Amino acid sequence: MHHRPAVEIKDLYYVYPDGTPALRGVNLTIEEGESVGIVGPNGAGKSTLLLHLNGILTGRGEVKIFGLPVEKKNLREIRRRVGLVFQDPDDQLFSPTVFDDVAFGPINMGLSQEEVASAVSRALEEVGVTGQEKRSAHHLSYGQKKRVSIATVLSMNPDLLVLDEPSSNLDPRARREFSELLQPMKITKILVTHDLPFVFENCDRVVILSGGKVAADGEAFSILSDEDLLSGYGLELPYGFYAAPRETAKESGMENP
Amino acid sequence: MKHAFLDEYSHLESPVHQLDPRAKLVGFALLIIVCVTTPPNLCAAFAAYLGLEAAILLMSRLPWKHVLKRMLVVLPFILVVAAFLPFFSKGGGSYNLGPVTVSGHGLIVLWNVAVKSTVSVLAVILLSSTTPFPELLRGMEKLKVPHLLTTLLSFTYRYIFVLMDEMQRMRRARDSRGWSGRWLWQAKVIGHMIAALFLRSYERGERVYAAMLARGYDGGARVLYLHQFGVMEAGFLALITLVPLAARLMV
Repeated sequence: MHHRPAVEIKDLYYVYPDGTPALRGVNLTIEEGESVGIVGPNGAGKSTLLLHLNGILTGRGEVKIFGLPVEKKNLREIRRRVGLVFQDPDDQLFSPTVFDDVAFGPINMGLSQEEVASAVSRALEEVGVTGQEKRSAHHLSYGQKKRVSIATVLSMNPDLLVLDEPSSNLDPRARREFSELLQPMKITKILVTHDLPFVFENCDRVVILSGGKVAADGEAFSILSDEDLLSGYGLELPYGFYAAPRETAKESGMENP
Repeated sequence: MKHAFLDEYSHLESPVHQLDPRAKLVGFALLIIVCVTTPPNLCAAFAAYLGLEAAILLMSRLPWKHVLKRMLVVLPFILVVAAFLPFFSKGGGSYNLGPVTVSGHGLIVLWNVAVKSTVSVLAVILLSSTTPFPELLRGMEKLKVPHLLTTLLSFTYRYIFVLMDEMQRMRRARDSRGWSGRWLWQAKVIGHMIAALFLRSYERGERVYAAMLARGYDGGARVLYLHQFGVMEAGFLALITLVPLAARLMV
């Protein structure tokens, strides 16, 4: 069987309609089952890159998802396989009720009424938000909205989960619960975030994106413990944190000195 | 911010609440049409319409105070359109109310407007208070209302509170910087806020569209409809069409 990585990006260039170049030759390969964190300064092109993964933006170069080139005829299948969760849950939850939002994907896939209902209840159970199906998204707490946002893509049974700033605006407990929600998922994951401790906890591999290009790509510990490397791209670990090797850290996370 | 919206009591349990939204949409629409086309002199017919609505109200277990409060919305309409007519129009005999004369013709117009708008508004309130808005929209789609219209209404329902919250945040930020609203020149700030709100909504619209595309949206309308048209619906429709028609024709 021919080996297919989950994501294969070669020489991706993208220029915004107003002329600003956003991606200047991105090269990135992600294998199935990997958990990758993409970090970088503001304006590096991280969110722009994500939008290329399911064809919302199309640039020059090659993007393949599980071997399928991202082009018009594959979009339907690609959008089922790539679960893209946006930063603001109010952008992700646009239907009148929670049920409608989580059902939106399966309905577009053409599933039957029973299949949709079971996909919805499965997804909501997986994110730990049950019993809220008939409520409008506006009545949920921020943490619940974030969880339901993930459910909206989980119901489509994706093979690649892409999260844009998953931990932003979450209080410590919600952030902890979110992390515990993500970790057991065996699905291939890409996290785009500024929250370096969150990346260290949930990802094995870290990619630094800067100026529209991949600036560094390696094992999470070796990248995040390299202060000079990080500061070269405007990144640093928060005050009081340093990266501890997984084996010696208390619970495979960061420790304070 | 806690918000109440037009389907406030729609989660109660009652025979009216359980009805298929399509039956309610068609039924109340027919009632309104029959009422509006009734000549104003058939007072007994209007009594029948109101009686029918009162019976439905009773069956729906809606709090009548809530219903009455929402019916007050029709008052400004009546006042603006018809309240002054009896004093200014001529014809149809005149009656003296102390120092003022009112014309019979004008009174009939006032009665016409008042009773018809009351029956119509009550019908709409009964419909919206017994049907959760999303189900109402689904019923409309099943009845072949254009998908574009129902999608617009759906987004309005979902995002109106988001917009109100943004407005409140802008207002708080503005007031925190000393805007008092007492000076005329401060009025242009309101224009700026509206423009800002428009821009933010437009950009949010683009993000929502991207989120829809990401979950496979291709412009098609696929409706998941869980209601079924049964005996209760048939009974309701029969009641709401035959009673007004009978009242109209036999009076």
